[in-house]
Amino acid sequence: MTQKVSVDDELARDFLEEMLRIDVFEEETKERFGEGEIPGFVHLSGGHEGSHVGMGAAMDDDDWLAVGGARLIGQYIAKGVPLPEIMAELYGRVGGSNEGHGGQMHVSDVDRRLYGHAATIGSGQNPAVGLGLAEEMKGTDNVAVTTIGDGGTSRGSFHTALVFAAYWDLPVVFVIENNEWAISTPAESLSPDRLSDYGIPHNMPTESIDGSDVEEVYHTVSEAIERARSGEGPTVIESRVVRLVPHFEGDKETYRDEEAYERAKEEKDPIENYRERLLENGVITEAELEDMVANIEAEVEEAVEFARESPEPEPEAAYEHVYKTPLYGQGDRR
Amino acid sequence: MTREITYVQAIAEAIDEELQRDEDVVLFGEDVEEFGGNFGETEGLYEKHGRDRVRNTPLSEIGIAGMALGAAVGGIRPVAELQFADFAATAGDEVFNQIPKQPYVSGGQIEAPLTIFAPSGAGIGAGAQHSQSVHSWLGNVPGWVVVTATTPYDAKGLFKSAIRDDNPVFFLPHKMLSETKGEVPEEEYTLPLGEAAVEEEGEDVTVVATQLMFHRAKEAAAQVDADVEIVNPRTFAPLDTETIAESVRKTGRLVVVDETVERYGTQGHIANEIVENDFFSLDAPPKTIGVKEIPIPLSPPLEQEALPSADRIADGIESLF
Ligand SMILES: Cc1ncc(C[n+]2csc(CCOP(=O)(O)OP(=O)(O)O)c2C)c(N)n1
Repeated sequence: MTQKVSVDDELARDFLEEMLRIDVFEEETKERFGEGEIPGFVHLSGGHEGSHVGMGAAMDDDDWLAVGGARLIGQYIAKGVPLPEIMAELYGRVGGSNEGHGGQMHVSDVDRRLYGHAATIGSGQNPAVGLGLAEEMKGTDNVAVTTIGDGGTSRGSFHTALVFAAYWDLPVVFVIENNEWAISTPAESLSPDRLSDYGIPHNMPTESIDGSDVEEVYHTVSEAIERARSGEGPTVIESRVVRLVPHFEGDKETYRDEEAYERAKEEKDPIENYRERLLENGVITEAELEDMVANIEAEVEEAVEFARESPEPEPEAAYEHVYKTPLYGQGDRR
Repeated sequence: MTREITYVQAIAEAIDEELQRDEDVVLFGEDVEEFGGNFGETEGLYEKHGRDRVRNTPLSEIGIAGMALGAAVGGIRPVAELQFADFAATAGDEVFNQIPKQPYVSGGQIEAPLTIFAPSGAGIGAGAQHSQSVHSWLGNVPGWVVVTATTPYDAKGLFKSAIRDDNPVFFLPHKMLSETKGEVPEEEYTLPLGEAAVEEEGEDVTVVATQLMFHRAKEAAAQVDADVEIVNPRTFAPLDTETIAESVRKTGRLVVVDETVERYGTQGHIANEIVENDFFSLDAPPKTIGVKEIPIPLSPPLEQEALPSADRIADGIESLF
């Protein structure tokens, strides 16, 4: 049975394009990492693309995103950070969004209202509440969206953020991307059936949705953002996805049941499913799709070129950005 | 024109004036509204500035510190209170990993102009989990500006600067000094961050001390047969090493006394700065005095045993001659 398309054709094509952008960018990232061009470690988003893109599209440019979980790069892309700046940051180069001080786990882009990521999982939710407070105090109707994985919901900091957001009814949308695994620990073993139930004791609206369906995510997050914008406070959304990739590149995934994994890849790949859905509904043709992919590949190629050509930071740059100087009252002594 | 006010009154005045001056300043913490703070440091502020600007929070330092970080990034200037400095540990990740590092990892894009203030120090019989001096913990994480206050004058002038500074500032009043009185100008003033003050001039020995230890160092100075110069660092991170070094170049002797634990404490760091860079200005090895390697006990005689006494400081000074 063919699933209908619930948004207009242009938006539908944008959704597909953005998911493909994440996919192509990350495939390239994986290769560059494999070749030793990217330092550190790399977590990919495979299976989360629908959730990232639906959420990104539901946000206005002036809404904040505080990224959580470990699937990061797709969220940076969905918030509109230019690919060359992301890639250069993964390379640790001067042209990166953070001039090489951040890397994969710390891409921020304050102008685009990307707060960044707390690499200690679950520590980004309280800052998101603070962002919501700042917007409210400034009298804007901007909201803060913050994501977290199923694993991160076990931290007290996550629950504290719910308490604080509820205490003042702040404009915060909590999205839990439940991909069933915190590295090798299954979400199944956590008590709530729906992780969004963590919002119930705080009297927040809660939703548990199929996060691999970009449209469902888009509609649900849009409604939550609308509520927050109009002063009706926070929402908790569980976006159920499947992690179709290792936890990080190099994870041998010995803990996964192979048959179920293969079946998930068949059934729950958000990009494959959406591609078919748009083709079957005549929203896009094979030829248009090929063009789309070719354009994205060229974009990603350029991003890699940019990163490679961007210089390594001078060692002295390590001492920049620790303090804003002069300190108050010091004049321009330093 | 000056008048005498208490240390906590100086703190309340500093917050009051900054709330008045800048509408982006907001005060929050546990029991800062009608209750007025554990030591009276926020008394009257809620009545004057209202619930938008002075906010009680639920009991969670993680929430207070984490929210302060986000709010600062979002463009307001939070002044957040923790009821005791020890509780910074309950927000360990926020305090050690998030607040001091987000500006750095963002490559300078993120500004976090927030102030956390928390009474520190021992002496009121509050026991091991309410009595620590934490400026060595905090000073060890680059990114925090760590400020202490020794007098009401310090408390007001430094706190106002902390609120105005664009860095995350951890401001540490000392709970034993809450009710001490001192002269504070009527007129508005601020004191520079990152600068030590030579509080007492002397020729024979430099004693570096702040907070309660500053007052004990003064007592010790009166007991010894030496002309003591006392330097109050005021800001522990970044540390104004130059003012201390200059003093030691003059006196040739150094005693560092502080309420942090001696093991890996502030005392060793300050002494090392001089040993490494100004060794030949020293006529004697530097002496470091702090809390011995014990948690702060409750019983008053035990508690006083843990803290450097005026006698211990005096002995330390005399041991250099
Ligand atoms: C506080 C903290 N504990 C542990 C880790 C190590 N770690 C990184 S990712 C991860 C699993 C995260 O799982 P989840 O929150 O479900 O996010 P997902 O990987 O599913 O995106 C762990 C344990 C960490 N980064 N931070």
